[in-house]
Amino acid sequence: MNEPTADGQAAAHLLSAVTLPCGAEIDPLLEQVADGHAAELDAHQRECVHCQAAIAEFTALWAPVTETAATSVPAPPGLTAAVMSQIRVMIRDVWYTLQTTELGAIRIAARIVAALARDSARLVPGVRVALGRSSHGKMAALAEEATFRHRHPHAAVGVLGRTAIVDLAVAVSYGDPVREVARDIQRHVIRTLREDVGLKTVVVNVTVDDVIIDEEP
Amino acid sequence: MKAGPEVGDNYLVARAREGYLDAYEMLVQRHSAMAYRVALRLCGNHHDAQDIAQEALIAAWENLDRFKAESSFSTWLYQIVTRRALNKVTRGRRRDLTDLLDDAVDPGTEPAVQAERNLAVDAVTDALAALPFPQRTVVVLHHFEGLSYAEVGEVTHSSVPAVRSHLFRARRTLGKQLEEWR
Repeated sequence: MNEPTADGQAAAHLLSAVTLPCGAEIDPLLEQVADGHAAELDAHQRECVHCQAAIAEFTALWAPVTETAATSVPAPPGLTAAVMSQIRVMIRDVWYTLQTTELGAIRIAARIVAALARDSARLVPGVRVALGRSSHGKMAALAEEATFRHRHPHAAVGVLGRTAIVDLAVAVSYGDPVREVARDIQRHVIRTLREDVGLKTVVVNVTVDDVIIDEEP
Repeated sequence: MKAGPEVGDNYLVARAREGYLDAYEMLVQRHSAMAYRVALRLCGNHHDAQDIAQEALIAAWENLDRFKAESSFSTWLYQIVTRRALNKVTRGRRRDLTDLLDDAVDPGTEPAVQAERNLAVDAVTDALAALPFPQRTVVVLHHFEGLSYAEVGEVTHSSVPAVRSHLFRARRTLGKQLEEWR
């Protein structure tokens, strides 16, 4: 730490006072500087050497705070992944598709199916945001009902076989034909899930619940 | 696809409540830096800050059904982070004050300037840590996060005059600490 300087002693004196010799209160002056308005002098301050000196002193004193506040602090790498990983564990998202081949069984977690459906929907022109879900709602309910009697021994909750119902919530660009965009999403997602995941029966429910208007450039 | 800043937090909160985990992941991506930054400035060390940010973001998801739409998601998250930081600070002593903003070193800055900046950051960190927690909180929210007095009052459940009074006292204390460093 540096030794106190003459400036420091001046600041110490100011910070122990309530008012300046001109009658101006210390706290509002310090507030003015700390809030970044040091240069915005009022009529009294423009004529008053006491106020001007105090503002200059406080500006120098507060500079490290301003500098620290302006320094970017990024989130640690992996924070988002850690949070989402813990939440996924809490959800216990254990729904699976099940396909049996001559080489054995293939199981794909329903959340992966939802993610593929979401990413597929996002490629459709006019779609601005697409969200997929698998752990709540119709898909989980259907899986529970459909698989209650023939659950896979290694799946804690159930399997979907080769059937999937996917719910997608999407926001589309303003001006695009909503119905057409929604149909394109259904077609595109169904094709993706059939070709990439090997699902046989795919139902894609699309909810368009927001329209995004482009801002003027 | 252009996503992210185009949809509002309220839209994502509504979808997350319906079970769309993607929506909550987007909220986490948007707000994790804020949660960590505030926790770091309130508790003074990286490890506790990371724990607080992680716990707060998980707690927010667990309690989404209690979130009242009249305040913003960020205000609500500020509340959770500050409450958890208070719990952490009152449970244990600060382990290390010197790592505040360590991750934020600008590689293009001259070494001498960087050393001076680190000294300034250390001085501010020490001065912040010396403040009572309520004063530290209002300083962090107002002067570091840029929240208005009314917004700080919403986060801390205080009136605007109470926030202003805390800030008056906190600035004097900070000023006295910093003048010793100069």
